[in-house]
Amino acid sequence: MRLRAWLWLALSSVSAGSLAAGTRPHYGGILTMDLTGTFSTLEPSELPGLLSTLIGETLVRINSRGEFEPCLAASWQREADGRRWRISLRSNVKFHDGELLNAVSAAPVLLAALKRTYSDVAITPGGTTLVIQSASPLPDLLTELASPRTAIIRKSESSPLIGTGPFRVTAWEPGRRLALAAFEDYWGGRPFLDSAVINLGSNRTSADVFDVPFSSLRRILPEATRIWQSAPGELLALVAADVPAFAMQALALAIDRSSIVNVLTQRRGEPAFGLLPQWLSGYEFLFQSAPDVTRARQLASQSKLNPLALSYAGNDSFARAVAERIALNARDAGLTVQPSPNSGGSLRLVRLPLESADAAADLVILTRLLGLAERTNTVDVSKPETLYEAEKALLDSNRVIPLLHLPQLYALTPRVHFREADRGNPLILHLEDLWVDP
Amino acid sequence: MSFRIKVFLSITVTVLIAVWVVAAVVSALVTNSFERREAQRTAALVAEFQREFDRRGQEVARRIDAIANSDTVQRMAVNLAGPQPDASRYVDEAPALAREQSLNFLELVGPDGRIISSAEWPARFGYQESWLLEPVDWKAQGVFLKREDLADGATLGLVTVRGVKTGERTLYVAGGSQLDKEFFDSLPVAEGMRVQLYRNFEPRPAPDTLGSALAATLIQQVQQQPRELTRTSPAASISAIPLIGRDKQLLAILLVESSRAELATLKRTIQATAWGVGAVGVLLGLILSFWTASRITRPLRALAGSVRQVAAGDWNTRAVVDSRDEIGQLARDFNHMTEQLSEQRDRMIQAERVAAWRELARRLAHELKNPLFPLQITVENLQRSRQASPEQFDEVFRESTTTLLAELDNLKTIIGRFSDFAKMPAPHLESVNLNDTVREVLKLFEAQIRAPGHAPIDVRLETEQNLASIAADSDQIRRALRNLVLNALDAMPKGGTLTIRTQNVNGTAGTRVAVEVSDTGEGLTPEECERLFTPYYTTKQHGTGLGLAIVQSVVSDHKGTISVHSQPGHGTTFRIELNR
Repeated sequence: MRLRAWLWLALSSVSAGSLAAGTRPHYGGILTMDLTGTFSTLEPSELPGLLSTLIGETLVRINSRGEFEPCLAASWQREADGRRWRISLRSNVKFHDGELLNAVSAAPVLLAALKRTYSDVAITPGGTTLVIQSASPLPDLLTELASPRTAIIRKSESSPLIGTGPFRVTAWEPGRRLALAAFEDYWGGRPFLDSAVINLGSNRTSADVFDVPFSSLRRILPEATRIWQSAPGELLALVAADVPAFAMQALALAIDRSSIVNVLTQRRGEPAFGLLPQWLSGYEFLFQSAPDVTRARQLASQSKLNPLALSYAGNDSFARAVAERIALNARDAGLTVQPSPNSGGSLRLVRLPLESADAAADLVILTRLLGLAERTNTVDVSKPETLYEAEKALLDSNRVIPLLHLPQLYALTPRVHFREADRGNPLILHLEDLWVDP
Repeated sequence: MSFRIKVFLSITVTVLIAVWVVAAVVSALVTNSFERREAQRTAALVAEFQREFDRRGQEVARRIDAIANSDTVQRMAVNLAGPQPDASRYVDEAPALAREQSLNFLELVGPDGRIISSAEWPARFGYQESWLLEPVDWKAQGVFLKREDLADGATLGLVTVRGVKTGERTLYVAGGSQLDKEFFDSLPVAEGMRVQLYRNFEPRPAPDTLGSALAATLIQQVQQQPRELTRTSPAASISAIPLIGRDKQLLAILLVESSRAELATLKRTIQATAWGVGAVGVLLGLILSFWTASRITRPLRALAGSVRQVAAGDWNTRAVVDSRDEIGQLARDFNHMTEQLSEQRDRMIQAERVAAWRELARRLAHELKNPLFPLQITVENLQRSRQASPEQFDEVFRESTTTLLAELDNLKTIIGRFSDFAKMPAPHLESVNLNDTVREVLKLFEAQIRAPGHAPIDVRLETEQNLASIAADSDQIRRALRNLVLNALDAMPKGGTLTIRTQNVNGTAGTRVAVEVSDTGEGLTPEECERLFTPYYTTKQHGTGLGLAIVQSVVSDHKGTISVHSQPGHGTTFRIELNR
């Protein structure tokens, strides 16, 4: 199943259109970027979405329409039983150290990555062709091949990470700073920027680009700073442990999501009624419901309930604000919810990232993260209706209440320009599409 | 109850009552003074509370004015009055402004009454505060007490409201300070006093609330009818002052506790002192009672001793007179009385002696006159017979000598009786069983009673089976009983019942033995009973009047007692009691 997100794209184009206007793209320049988050390894699977495709690339990728499209693979063929796949590699693709990508160099990396998912998989390299086969069918192999976990990368003494992406690593200070330079021989064309310096764990707002967490969304930004907003790629949800179903239903009816969206996200987020956002699933509107405090109060009065502890990440002031609002809404329904930064409450406020533009993959990942994987293991995720039913079953289990779908927000200073291009994952700000004024 | 104990009790009770009265009066005065002082202190504290309330209220008003006039709020008001107002961008303003002005509460509320930003509860954005939309001149309203709902409960605040008007739209700035611990800490609370605020929306007073049960009662009463109340317990005195909100609702109760520990200590001291004084009083009473009693009772005891001596027959005893008080006078009177009695006794003895002699003479004359008269006749017959024939003279002589001898025997008998009475010998004591003696006496009269022509006498002998033996002279006892039986028989000339009864008697003087002799004769008058034992007194025509005198003499010589019980027409009973 591949869902189209034309609606989000249209909106995104409108919001980002102004960013692309003005100057024509040109090469050169150094971009500085401050990220509030940090990471200590350059493994593509561990990198934030923003950086995951800059250095190492996958064989296939998912575009903004939810379709698989070639990346390092030029084409692929699947035999009828799904046990054998033939992948033809793109020609003239070079690693950052100048070595050409071929089946022999790609096979070991790919096999090691696929073994984590398919234990009996085998890869036979042959020139520019990789033959992947298994004793059992591999229906979701393309999803796996689009995951950053299967990025074709190498490591050497001179560089911590060598890939085929548009940027190569020139300096790496784990947890602090990453310096990238444009890869001149990138098969997709040299990026506009000459280089990019990314500072990690920084709360400054002086860089050309910096991320804007929702907790500081309402702070005053430098003059003329623009916000780039990804597709909603993060789910904020309430997850219950040992909370009676009637209490969860009452909570779901009591929470006024629109107020949270309007005020706490300054309309950047979206009310979430399903686990997957509308742009990804296409059916989220079917779960939509309006707050009904009266009904919530009726439900809550069914039985006397002890106060519910609601835990949230202690360092996340946005989560705290949402938790306090939930407590207030719950109070209106006659429920006592006590927000606490300590873990272990009967309710948890969690932020779950959507890793790709593949709805089925994201649902599986979400259910795994929510501890509800057993409910989707037997679902045929290739059909929209079964995916809907699986998600509905998840919601009906009264174990999780979706609250918000949140986008990634980046502030761009006036010297940074952006060219809109469908490079795949709409959750990511593609640095290769940015250029800066001299 | 002895005089000493009476004196002791009198002194003790007097001292205790005096001490109690003094202690009660002092305690009442101290309590009154203490309560007056506490009332003044409470009033001063409440006045200070009111002053601090007003002062802080003015401060709150000044700060809210500053916020309402700030650029931020003015700009906000203008923006919100625009065509497409976006209140969400101001959600963080109230906390910042409240921090700036050091206010605990601040809410920025839009023209529709919805909270735009809240400092005390940031999550409440969008909630309705409809009370702000009431047509009120908020500036004139001033500062008032208001319940403030917070995420973790509710509290009380000094709150004021300002409206920032832009065109037709008004942005409301409502905020203030919490009525917190710091507020109460700033009050000049005197030692022994505590101030606490009971907030009326709390379910019940907190465990550490003043006075627990007393405070709870007080709170309940003020809740029912808001008014100032004061209640007192042994531990504390609590005043409750209702604090009313803008809408006339009882929002809180100011509880001012004055510890009564100091008063209690004072009272305990007074009580302890009273006990001490009381104990000393009791001791003093004891000493005084002994001293006083000894002072008073010594002459009384001496006097009593003299009385006892007089009673024992020592008529020459005199009480010692060593004071001029009432007791001394009593002793003098006693001595005078004994002197008078002694003289009277002497005179009586003399008179009785004369009377006895007269009686004796009369008796003797009477007794002797009867035999003398035949003697005289016989002698005169004998003289006249000398002129008769010798044969007649011999006959008369023989008869006359016979008569003379008989009458002389009679005279000897009479004289013997008097002699016997005069010569009553001292009893020779031996162990005697009265039952046996009684039977022996009855045996003596058996023939007489059963003699033909004698009136029918029914004899009843009621003897105690285990009658104790007594130490007595059996002959004298027998003689005494014989006289009593004889008297009883004489009392029943027409017959009747003679009852002789013996019994053991347990009395204060130990076990005694009693014997009763009863008849069913005519009985005696009380006057006769009184004189019955007087020698030579008799109710019989031919008695000597010595029978019962002899009986009394025998009983007296045996240290016993004799009594008579009689009523006319109901017979007479003589009862003799003898010691073992």
